[in-house]
Amino acid sequence: MAEVLERVTKIIVDRLGVEESEVKLEASFKDDLGADSLDVVELVMELEDEFDMEISDDDAEKIATVGDAVNYIKASQ
Amino acid sequence: MKWGILLRFPQLRIGHMKPRFPIMQGGMGVGISLSGLSSAVANAGGIGTISGTGINIEDLRFHIRKAKASIKGEGYIGVNVLFAMNDFAEKMKAAIEEKVDFIISGAGISRDMYSWGKESGIPVISIVSSARLAKMSERLGASAVVVEGNEAGGHLGTERPLFDILQEVVEAVKIPVIAAGGIMTGRDIAHAIRIGASGVQMGTRFVASHECDAPLSFKDKYVHAKQEDIVMVKTTVGLEGRAIKNHFTEQISDNKKVKIKNCIDCLKNCSYRFCTMDSLITSMDGDCENGLVFAGARVHEIKEILPVQTIINNLKAEYEAFD
Repeated sequence: MAEVLERVTKIIVDRLGVEESEVKLEASFKDDLGADSLDVVELVMELEDEFDMEISDDDAEKIATVGDAVNYIKASQ
Repeated sequence: MKWGILLRFPQLRIGHMKPRFPIMQGGMGVGISLSGLSSAVANAGGIGTISGTGINIEDLRFHIRKAKASIKGEGYIGVNVLFAMNDFAEKMKAAIEEKVDFIISGAGISRDMYSWGKESGIPVISIVSSARLAKMSERLGASAVVVEGNEAGGHLGTERPLFDILQEVVEAVKIPVIAAGGIMTGRDIAHAIRIGASGVQMGTRFVASHECDAPLSFKDKYVHAKQEDIVMVKTTVGLEGRAIKNHFTEQISDNKKVKIKNCIDCLKNCSYRFCTMDSLITSMDGDCENGLVFAGARVHEIKEILPVQTIINNLKAEYEAFD
């Protein structure tokens, strides 16, 4: 769990240029972390690479918060 | 690219496609580019696109088969479905099963579409409005990108003019770049090619053709439109769109809700202020006052309804004369 969150946090910090402290489980990519829709797609693509998985369009659309991403990755591992 | 004498159209190549002219016909829904228009463009040496938006799966399959059967010799047909539609995946998979030459989409980015393209060996083309999205599409596996500027008709992805964005996209990607939005003459094509485009996509000009699947009342709206008749509307897809002013655009011009007769929840995210789908079906059925008539920014330059072959021959002559 901790390890997944750490890796996800690192990607978000790098990609969105936010502070690590802002990356909370309940943080919304668009509303709290300033991501636009393309940022979210890019994030999803990086998560796919990082965790060696494929996330479909439908599943990706449901990923709105940091917690959603972490839970999705954990559930599919 | 050199600013030298071009004389002839350059050879456009996208996947296995090598059309005689570097001219794609843009997918136009609902029901504007079906088998009639797309096969006419393919037969005239361009690339035809069937719009799968707003028609059912059986009709989509029917139009693909009909278009393919009408093609004489070499000719290419693809399918466009708006990514914002709920039935996007189902339609694209049907198009692939019917062995279209390519699939194309815009209004959002689908990553799944590239996997389907790879599995089936069918080229995937993305409609983009920025260098950033073009690069992402290339990374995902796009065979080409269509760059659509603000001069286009229907739903728009940007407020920037085509020729501003085109240069940036050409510099950003290695795949073929197709320029779209407000392309009307051979001179426009020459301009796009000089900037580095491999071809153009045109929609509006092909609506006013004999072969276009739209009703005559829709084509007449195009031929009679004046510049002041062109308006912007915000549809329930959440995007601005360009249309020809009529009773319907007046009705939705304030922010009041318009009664929705029968909602089939066709959009992934709908504002439900009115029904965009119903308004497009109304105009497809011939009532171009009470339905939405999408059109490009230069629709007022069109003076007559012509055969597709004549339109393409004129473009070629204008292109060659310009050089």
